[in-house]
Amino acid sequence: MSPNLLRLLFLLMIFISLSITSSLSTPSPADSPPYLWPLPAEFSFGNETLSVDPALTLLIAGNGGGSPIVRAAFDRYMGIIFKHASGRASLLARIRFLRMVEYDITSLKIVVHSDSEELQLGVDESYTLMVSKKNEQSIVGAATIEANTVYGALRGLETFSQLCAFDYLTKSVQIYKAPWYIQDKPRFGYRGLLIDTSRHFLPIDVIKQIIESMSFAKLNVLHWHIVDEQSFPFETPTYPNLWKGAYSRWERYTVEDASEIVRFAKMRGINVMAEVDVPGHAESWGTGYPDLWPSLSCREPLDVTKIFTFDVISGILADMRKIFPFELFHLGGDEVNTDCWKNTTHVKEWLQGRNFTTKDAYKYFVLRAQQIAISKNWTPVNWEETFSSFGKDLDPGTVIQNWLVSDICQKAVAKGFRCIFSNQGYWYLDHLDVPWDEVYNTEPLNGIEDPSLQKLVIGGEVCMWGETADTSVVLQTIWPRAAAAAERMWSTREAVSKGNITLTALPRLHYFRCLLNNRGVPAAPVDNFYARRPPSGPGSCYAQ
Amino acid sequence: MRGKGAKIAGVLPLFMLFIAGTISAFDDIERLRIWPLPAQVSHGGRRMYLSGDFKLVTEGSKYGDTSGILKEGFDRMLSIVRLSHVISGDRNSSGSGGSALLQGLRVIISSSTDELEYGADESYKLVVPSPEKPSYAQLEAKSVYGALHGLQTFSQLCHFNLKKKVIEILMTPWNIIDQPRFSYRGLLIDTSRHYLPLPVIKNVIDSMTYAKLNVLHWHIVDTQSFPLEIPSYPKLWNGAYSSSQRYTFEDAAEIVNYARRRGIHVLAEIDVPGHALSWGKGYPALWPSKNCQEPLDVSSDFTFKVIDGILSDFSKIFKFKFVHLGGDEVNTTCWSATPRIAQWLKKHRMSEGEAYQYFVLRAQKIALSHGYEIINWEETFINFGSKLNSKTVVHNWLNTGLVENVTASGLRCIVSNQEYWYLDHIDATWQGFYANEPLQNITDKKQQSLVLGGEVCMWGEHIDASDIEQTIWPRAAAAAERLWTPYAKLAKNPNKVTTRLAHFRCLLNRRGVAAAPLVGGGRVVPLEPGSCLAQ
Repeated sequence: MSPNLLRLLFLLMIFISLSITSSLSTPSPADSPPYLWPLPAEFSFGNETLSVDPALTLLIAGNGGGSPIVRAAFDRYMGIIFKHASGRASLLARIRFLRMVEYDITSLKIVVHSDSEELQLGVDESYTLMVSKKNEQSIVGAATIEANTVYGALRGLETFSQLCAFDYLTKSVQIYKAPWYIQDKPRFGYRGLLIDTSRHFLPIDVIKQIIESMSFAKLNVLHWHIVDEQSFPFETPTYPNLWKGAYSRWERYTVEDASEIVRFAKMRGINVMAEVDVPGHAESWGTGYPDLWPSLSCREPLDVTKIFTFDVISGILADMRKIFPFELFHLGGDEVNTDCWKNTTHVKEWLQGRNFTTKDAYKYFVLRAQQIAISKNWTPVNWEETFSSFGKDLDPGTVIQNWLVSDICQKAVAKGFRCIFSNQGYWYLDHLDVPWDEVYNTEPLNGIEDPSLQKLVIGGEVCMWGETADTSVVLQTIWPRAAAAAERMWSTREAVSKGNITLTALPRLHYFRCLLNNRGVPAAPVDNFYARRPPSGPGSCYAQ
Repeated sequence: MRGKGAKIAGVLPLFMLFIAGTISAFDDIERLRIWPLPAQVSHGGRRMYLSGDFKLVTEGSKYGDTSGILKEGFDRMLSIVRLSHVISGDRNSSGSGGSALLQGLRVIISSSTDELEYGADESYKLVVPSPEKPSYAQLEAKSVYGALHGLQTFSQLCHFNLKKKVIEILMTPWNIIDQPRFSYRGLLIDTSRHYLPLPVIKNVIDSMTYAKLNVLHWHIVDTQSFPLEIPSYPKLWNGAYSSSQRYTFEDAAEIVNYARRRGIHVLAEIDVPGHALSWGKGYPALWPSKNCQEPLDVSSDFTFKVIDGILSDFSKIFKFKFVHLGGDEVNTTCWSATPRIAQWLKKHRMSEGEAYQYFVLRAQKIALSHGYEIINWEETFINFGSKLNSKTVVHNWLNTGLVENVTASGLRCIVSNQEYWYLDHIDATWQGFYANEPLQNITDKKQQSLVLGGEVCMWGEHIDASDIEQTIWPRAAAAAERLWTPYAKLAKNPNKVTTRLAHFRCLLNRRGVAAAPLVGGGRVVPLEPGSCLAQ
């Protein structure tokens, strides 16, 4: 069957099934909602229960079906779907071997049209997923994921895994409410999560746990705020003294470690955007190279007067370019307090010599750093202060990242810049007093009506700043609130904006939080007002 | 290495401890950064590197490892050693002339069996040579489970060399002779107040091995929920919180197996007759009445049939020699308040207190009939200690001084005094965990031998999958050293071991365990940016 014919049949089925089932049912014990998170763009379901073979076989098709990324993901999800001991090698499975038990779903077919594994901003993440019983009435049969890219296939696999539930009575994995027809794609191409390894070092294994958990919520960019004033944990071969700014010899990333993180993320369809925040937030650089400080007693921002400063930035970016293939690179540029420039004699003289105010020098610094990034074939991302201070001088390709002012994306796209939404009042995960519903109800396109301007908002990002988040609490501070933002950024605006979210979203979010727990992710209770607090008393995961 | 650390501003306060005093033997031990501290350690000052294909060699061992326990343990050890960084250096010529290269670990085990028996020998001897000597480290143990402890110690000797990007062992040669002080080193988890998914329990088990704890006390069932499948009485798990917050019988067997392969016993508990309300969700006849649902109906034979069924099923999967029957906090007012039971009490001329004793002793007999020795919470001893079966182990939690009384009466005891070793007391500090001595005030050798050990308890009222690890760690580690290390080697002042414990906490973090900062009580969050080692 040709892909196009398959698609046609599929659309026909959606049409037929939509006429019998509504696409958004309200939750009640009798008619439970589809426990999918984030909610797919289009879907329909029936009322059959299908069993899934613990020896589910992978069938691949299309130019990209043979990708090791698909194979590895299938193996990962097999481990997730069949994690109960009895699910994998039970008596039932052995009996089936003797052809006494027939499973409804014995294979998963994954069709990937493109053989390109290029992972960049805007990569096609769409997929269709069909699950139906193989019988005379069914034209499709079994489970099929069809996608244009391997990354779309990964998203489809995640959805498939969320359809699969372990049934404790039959001790087998079942799919309820089949047949399922899902056609899905993200609303925004950039769905990010920031981690901060300067305020607290996060071991590689922990970063991998975070990446893995992101894939469950279909987030697709890990914004790695690697360095800040507190510590410089990153190896930079060109300037090998820089990581002397690490907290300790145990709290460091080698070049190979970083490459491993990028590789691990790519296998899950996640880009890693590195950040080097200049000229403020860079005090730790001077531990290895004190010349980068204006003076020993006044250490931030980086010394704007020295060629050496820009040589070091260029060296760091050259080293990082070999590690981070993502087209976006974050140059920071926020919260620059230029007092040190004013108060240090040689910097002050330099300013006077050029007839610069400190603000001029700030602009000079950011623009020069942008040129370095652009020369390395990167698109620069900068925090919003750069736009508010000297927006008209920024490189027109710059992506502005919002954090401070609620309508900055509105203003930035009006000037033709692209924008990432991270409003601190709602999407800063270190703000523990923002409950899930406020995260959920925050709309990146608020106040932007023109469709052509809306397109310039490439997406949003939740930020897990690390001042009070280390290995012991980072995951429970991220989850489940990051999932609320993830659905906002993935699902259609209509689906997340209308109706009573206590009915349309909360039961599914409870379910998703427990799903994270079942996968070993320590997502905190949903219902607590303050994030990462312990459960208030004994109770079911689904009710807390 | 110490000098390097001292350069880091954030770590400075911890290192001040050393700089202030002269380097005594004690300080030298603290520099070793092994947790829990082994019984005997000596070391040199040379450096060795692990070969890229670091091998397990077992020639000369009597243990055939047909079950793969040793091989798996070795592979796990290597993978955690390699977890913190990508090994990218040239792994086969990193030594000076190759002689500083460790080719592998020779493991010699003298017992051929891998039955995990309580009280069996857990000792091991670990030798890491210096560059002049043959290029294999050697680990000797009586049993494979002793060898697993040796592998844990070995993993803590391994560090990543940031220049060469290979694994190194500093301060060779090493000679370590080690064995635990107590044979029972437990951690309680509670899956009734909150369900803990399988991967979470497995993570807890893995983390226990890092601190050489050896008993997972699984408080499976309580008032709130009954998550475990009991084939003999299939409606019991109707008392689960929901259809999916459950453990199948196979899941439980899998947990036992997973733990066993790591040298950890699983102690199953059903807490009777109190703490059992959830049983009646599936079998309401177990309740005194619909509106008075706890303790279990003492007057009905059905109650004891169900207990028999449960313990019969338990005996198929929980192979530990002990089963825990609870027996704590029994409020018997429901018995008198229910006419049917009040009548039964009258007929048998029993007070409520006597009925409590009758219940516990009858449950003990059932457990014995299934081949178990019994553990009961201390109230049973306080109320009718002289009546308890002589195979009873009394589990302390409430009263200080109880351990003296129990051992004086000739019964065995496990220490879990709540003010120091209850992990849910989040105001309890790691220093308190460390300083809590199970043999406090017990001088008689025979009485001392009746103290099997101790257990830290992670009660689950406010503990779910999201916060269990950071509430357990690092405080459980402080107790683990108390239970493992010879008394004479334990610090009199817990603050002397802060640096070494901070290292162990960061080691847990590197292994993906969410161990909390040391500064404060349990589950504290870092208050500000800083090094893992300084918080």
